[in-house]
Amino acid sequence: MSTGFDGLNRRQALAMMAGAAGATAFPGLSGPALAQAGRLRAGITGFTVINTLDPMKASLIPEYYIMYGIFNALLKFNSKMEIVPDLAESFSTVDSKTLEFKLRKGVKFHDGGDFTADDVKFSLERVADEKNASSNRSKMTPIADIQIADPHTLRIVTKAPFGPLLNYLTNTRTAAQIVSRAAVKAAGDEAFGKKPVGTGRYMLKDWKSNESVELAGFAGAFEGAPKIGSVICPFIAEESSGMTAILGNQIDLTSTAPFADVPTLEKQGTVKVLKQPGLNTRYIALNNKRAPFDDVHFRRAVSMAFDREMLVKAVIFGEGVATPGVLPPAHWAEGKPITSDYLKFNPERAKAELAKSKYKAGQEGVVLIWGSNWWRRIGEIFVGQVNQVLGTKLTIQAMDFNAAFGRAKAGDYDAMVMGWLGLVDPDEYIGEMAGSKGFRNIHFYSSAKMDDLLDKGRAEIDPAKRKLIYREAEQLLAEDMPMLPCFTSNVHNLLRPNLSGFTQLPYSNYGDQFGTCALG
Amino acid sequence: MLVRAPLVARALPRLGAVALLALFGAAAVFFAMRAGHGDPALTVLGDQATPEAIAAFRERWKLNDPVIVQFWRWLSRAVVGDFGVSMTVAGGEPIARLIGLRLPNTLFLGLYALFLAITVSLIAGTVSALRHGRMVDSAATSLAVLGISMPDFWLSYVLVYALALGAGLFPSYGFTPPGESLAGALYSGFLPALAISAPMAAAFTRILRTALLETLYRDHVRVAPSVGYPEGFIFLHHIFRNALIPYVTVIGLQVRYLLGGTVVVERIFGVNGIGTLMVDAAFGRDYPLVQACALTFLAIVLLVNFVVDLICTALDPRQS
Amino acid sequence: MIGALKNKLVLFGACITTVLVLAVVIGPWVSPYSATEADFMALLAPPSLSHPFGTDSFGRDVLTRILYGARVSLVVSVSGVLAAALIGTAAGMASAYFGGFGSSVMMRLSDLLFSFPSFVLALFMMVVLGYGVANIAVAIALIYIPIFARLSRNMALLVKDEPWVQAAILLGQPTRSILLREILPNIAAPIFVQIALGIAFGIVIEAGLSFLGLGVQPPAPSLGTIMADGREYFQRAPWVLTLSGVAVSIALLGLNLLSDGLRDVMDPKLRARL
Repeated sequence: MSTGFDGLNRRQALAMMAGAAGATAFPGLSGPALAQAGRLRAGITGFTVINTLDPMKASLIPEYYIMYGIFNALLKFNSKMEIVPDLAESFSTVDSKTLEFKLRKGVKFHDGGDFTADDVKFSLERVADEKNASSNRSKMTPIADIQIADPHTLRIVTKAPFGPLLNYLTNTRTAAQIVSRAAVKAAGDEAFGKKPVGTGRYMLKDWKSNESVELAGFAGAFEGAPKIGSVICPFIAEESSGMTAILGNQIDLTSTAPFADVPTLEKQGTVKVLKQPGLNTRYIALNNKRAPFDDVHFRRAVSMAFDREMLVKAVIFGEGVATPGVLPPAHWAEGKPITSDYLKFNPERAKAELAKSKYKAGQEGVVLIWGSNWWRRIGEIFVGQVNQVLGTKLTIQAMDFNAAFGRAKAGDYDAMVMGWLGLVDPDEYIGEMAGSKGFRNIHFYSSAKMDDLLDKGRAEIDPAKRKLIYREAEQLLAEDMPMLPCFTSNVHNLLRPNLSGFTQLPYSNYGDQFGTCALG
Repeated sequence: MLVRAPLVARALPRLGAVALLALFGAAAVFFAMRAGHGDPALTVLGDQATPEAIAAFRERWKLNDPVIVQFWRWLSRAVVGDFGVSMTVAGGEPIARLIGLRLPNTLFLGLYALFLAITVSLIAGTVSALRHGRMVDSAATSLAVLGISMPDFWLSYVLVYALALGAGLFPSYGFTPPGESLAGALYSGFLPALAISAPMAAAFTRILRTALLETLYRDHVRVAPSVGYPEGFIFLHHIFRNALIPYVTVIGLQVRYLLGGTVVVERIFGVNGIGTLMVDAAFGRDYPLVQACALTFLAIVLLVNFVVDLICTALDPRQS
Repeated sequence: MIGALKNKLVLFGACITTVLVLAVVIGPWVSPYSATEADFMALLAPPSLSHPFGTDSFGRDVLTRILYGARVSLVVSVSGVLAAALIGTAAGMASAYFGGFGSSVMMRLSDLLFSFPSFVLALFMMVVLGYGVANIAVAIALIYIPIFARLSRNMALLVKDEPWVQAAILLGQPTRSILLREILPNIAAPIFVQIALGIAFGIVIEAGLSFLGLGVQPPAPSLGTIMADGREYFQRAPWVLTLSGVAVSIALLGLNLLSDGLRDVMDPKLRARL
C-alpha cells in the first residue's frame, strides 16, 4: 500500500544533500525556526489548549503531558508497566483497607522546600474535597483518612477495600501528583495552576498561552538533574504539521503520529517510530433510552453488522487491535479477550437478530461524529457497513467536540463515536462507562447485575482476581451491548535519530521522560 | 493646508462611526454565539468533565446569568478598554495581552505577503500593460489568473513538500516572532507569506494592468505628448497616478482577508496569529475572547478603509 | 461579442468552463464507480488505468468523487452567490432609489458585515449554525450580500439621474416597473461579472471550510472534503490532494477567465481597444 512514496524516497535523498547545502546558504541565520543546541524540542501535537498545571484542576491530556515532568506521585509505572515507588521509598499493605508508605528523605520541591508526608496528605485531600470540584475527585473519595506517623511515614486508610487505589496513586492521569502545601497556600489555588511547584526534574520556566510551554531543569531533583537542561514544548494544532516539523528537524520529539503515515515513516527511517497498543478505548456510544438503540436486539444486530478487524485496517491502518469490550488488551485477564457471538461480524446472524427487534430495515438513526479525520472515519465506515448489511438508513452528523459533548451530556443523541485515552485502571473504563452512576455512562445503561460486579471489582484488592471479575463484567456487557466496542489504538511517538532515553509507556506518557532524554 | 482641514473635520465623526460600528459588530457576535450550541466548560474540562466540575465552571464565570446581564457586564467594561480575561486560555489570561502577543504575528505575515505581492504586481502589471497584446502580456495574465485560482492552503502544502522537505531551503514548520528575531521571522515566514501572497499578487497584477490600460487609452493622455510633455513624465504623473486609485482600493480590500482569512495557512505553518486565536476561541466557545477578536478585526478593517479613502482622496483631487 | 471571442484567453476560459460543466453534469452518470461506497480492497491506490486519479482512504475512485464533489461545490457556491445577488441587489437598488435614513442604516450594516474577514465570518457561521451544506451557502451569501448591495447601489445612483429614468418617473410609471425595467437592465453587467467571481470565490470558501472539517457532511463529497482527506495522507498518497487541488484550480481558472472576458466585453472603453 506504499507504492506512492518511492518518488518521495528519492526526493528525500536529494533533500539530505540539498538540505545541507541550504543550511550553509544562510549562514547568518539561526537555521530552522525552532532550533537550538542542547535543548529538547518536544512538540505536543493535536492540541493547542492548556488551562492549568495544577493536578487538582487539570483535565486535558496535554496538561498531563507536561505535569508528568513537573511532579511526582507516590508511585509510578516502570517500563514493564509494573507499579514501583516514586516519591515513596517503599510501600506495604497493612490490611485490606490500609496501605503504609515510607517516603524518601531529602527530597526538595522546586522552591527549595522540603517534601514531607504532610504534602502528600494535602495533595490528596484537596482532590477529594467537594469544594474544589476536581474532575478526578471520585478517585480520592474512597479514602477515609490519611494518617501521618512521622514526616516520612504515612498510612492511607480507605472506607472499604478499594482495588484501584494503587493505580490511582501513580503519576498518570489521576491527580495524584504531589504538590507543595506551602506553595499552594502562598500562591492561592488560582495562581498555583500557572506557577506549579513540584518535585519533578523540570520547573515551569515560561508559558505562552496556546503556543508553547518552556521547562527548565531542576538541579536539585531527587531523581537527579536532567541530562538536558532546557525543554520547549510547542503546541502544534495539526498532527500532520507535527510530522512535517520533525521531518524538517524543527522538533526532536512528537507526542503522536498520524496513523496513515506510520508505515511510510517506519520504512523511510528519517525518524524513529515508537509504537505499542495504548491504554485507550474507541467505541460507539449508544443512547439506550431512545429509539432505535433502546432495543437490545437492535443493538446486537448492529454489533454483528460491522467488522471490527476491517475497521482497524481502514481507520487506523492496522495501528491497533480490535477489542471485544471496552477494556484495552493490557487489562484482559490472562491476556486473552472475551468472546461472544454478538461481537463477531456475521451478516446472517445480524439479520436474524434484527428480525427479533422492533426495528426493521429502513430504520433511521443519526451517528454523531467529531474530532480529527480518523476519529470521524470510524463513524463513516461503521454507518456504511451497517447500512449495507442490515439495510438500515443510518446517517452521519458532523460537529465539533464542544457541540457533540453537549448533546451527549444532555442525552440528545442516538449514537456517537467516543473514546477515552490514558486511563490506567479497569474501573475507570468499565466502571465509569457501565456503572449506573458512572460519569462516563452517557448511555443511560443501568443494570443491577453489572453494578454488583463493578462493586465487587472495586472492592477486590488482588489484581489477578480483579481481572477475572472484570472479565465477567465484559461478558455481561457483550450480552447487553449498551455500547459498541471497536478497538484500542496504538500510541506513537516520533523521535529524531539522535534522540535517546525516551521510554514509551502505553498510558501516553511524555514529560516524565524528558529527564532521561539525551540528544546525541 | 487647505486640503487638510476639511479632511480632519470629516475624520472625527468617521472615527466615531467606526467605534460605534465595531461595538455593534461585537454585540452581534455575542448574541450569535449564545444562540448556538456549546459550552466553554467542555473546552476547559475536556472529556473528563464531571457534572460538578462543569457546574463549578459555569458558576465561576457567571454563565448562568441572563444573557442581557452578561452582555451589559462585558459592554460596560469594553467601552473603557477592559477586555477582561479569557475563559479557556490558561484559565484566565488577560485578553488584551493575548491579542497583543498574537496580532503582531498576523500583521507581520500580512505585511510581508503584501510587500511580496505589491512588488511582483507592480512589475508584472506594468510590463503586461505596456506590452499589451503580446506574449509577455498573455503569459503574465495567465499566471495571474492561475494564481487567483489556487486555494492558499493547497499551495501551502505544495510549498512545504517542495521547498521545505524536498529542497530543504526553508523550515517545514514553525515561526519565529519578529519580536524575537527579525531575520528569523523573515526566514521562517517566507513560505507562509508566499502562500498568502500568490493569490494577492495575481489579483493586484490584473487590477493594475486593467487600470493602466484604461488610462493609457484615455483621450487626454494621447493629447499630452503633442503639447510637449516627455513620455516618462506622462506615464508617471497621469497614467500611473490614476491607475493607483483602483489599485490601492483593491489592496485595502485585501486587508480583510489578511487578518482572518489566513487561518488555515497559519495552522499549517504554526504561525500563532490572531486568526487562529479567534477560530480556536470560536470552537472553544470562549465568548469574551471571540468578541474581543471580532472588535479588533473590525476596528482594524474600518480604520484601514478610512486610511485608504484618505489616500485615494489625496491621490485624486477630483474625488470629494 | 465577436471581439470577445477573438480574445484567446476568454475563449480558453469559456472552453474550460464548458468542459467542466459538461463533466460535472454528465460525468457521474458515465462513471462506473460510486462516489460514496467504500472498497476496502483498494485503499489509497495510486493512479492507474482503472482509477485515473487513484483511490482515497475509503477505496473510492477519486475522479468520480471529484466530479460529484464539483457538483456539490458548484451548487453550494451558486446558490449562495445567487441568494446574495438577489438580496443585495434589491437592497442596493432600493437604497439608491428611495434614499433616506433607513437606506443609510442599511448601508452601514452592510459595511459592518463587509468588514469581517470573510473566512472568519464563514467559520463563525458554521460554529453558530452547525455544519452542513445549507449553512455554507448561508455563510457565502452573508459574505457577498454587502458586495452586491454596494455595487448595485453605486450603479443605481448613477443611472437614477439619467434622462430616461427621470422621464419615466415624470410619466408616472409605477416604481416597481421603473426599478425592474429601467434601472436593473443598466446595472446588470457588472453584477453578472461579480456573480461569476463570486462563484469562484465561493468554491474556495467551501473548500477551506470543508478542509477544516466544517463543511459538507460525510460521506457526500465536495471539493474541499476530498482535499481534506487527501491532506491527511499526503506523505503516503500525494496524488489525492495534488490532483484534487489541480482540479479546483482548473475549475476556478475557467471561471475567472470567463468573468474576465465578460468584463472586457461589457466595458465599452476597453472593447474598442481590444
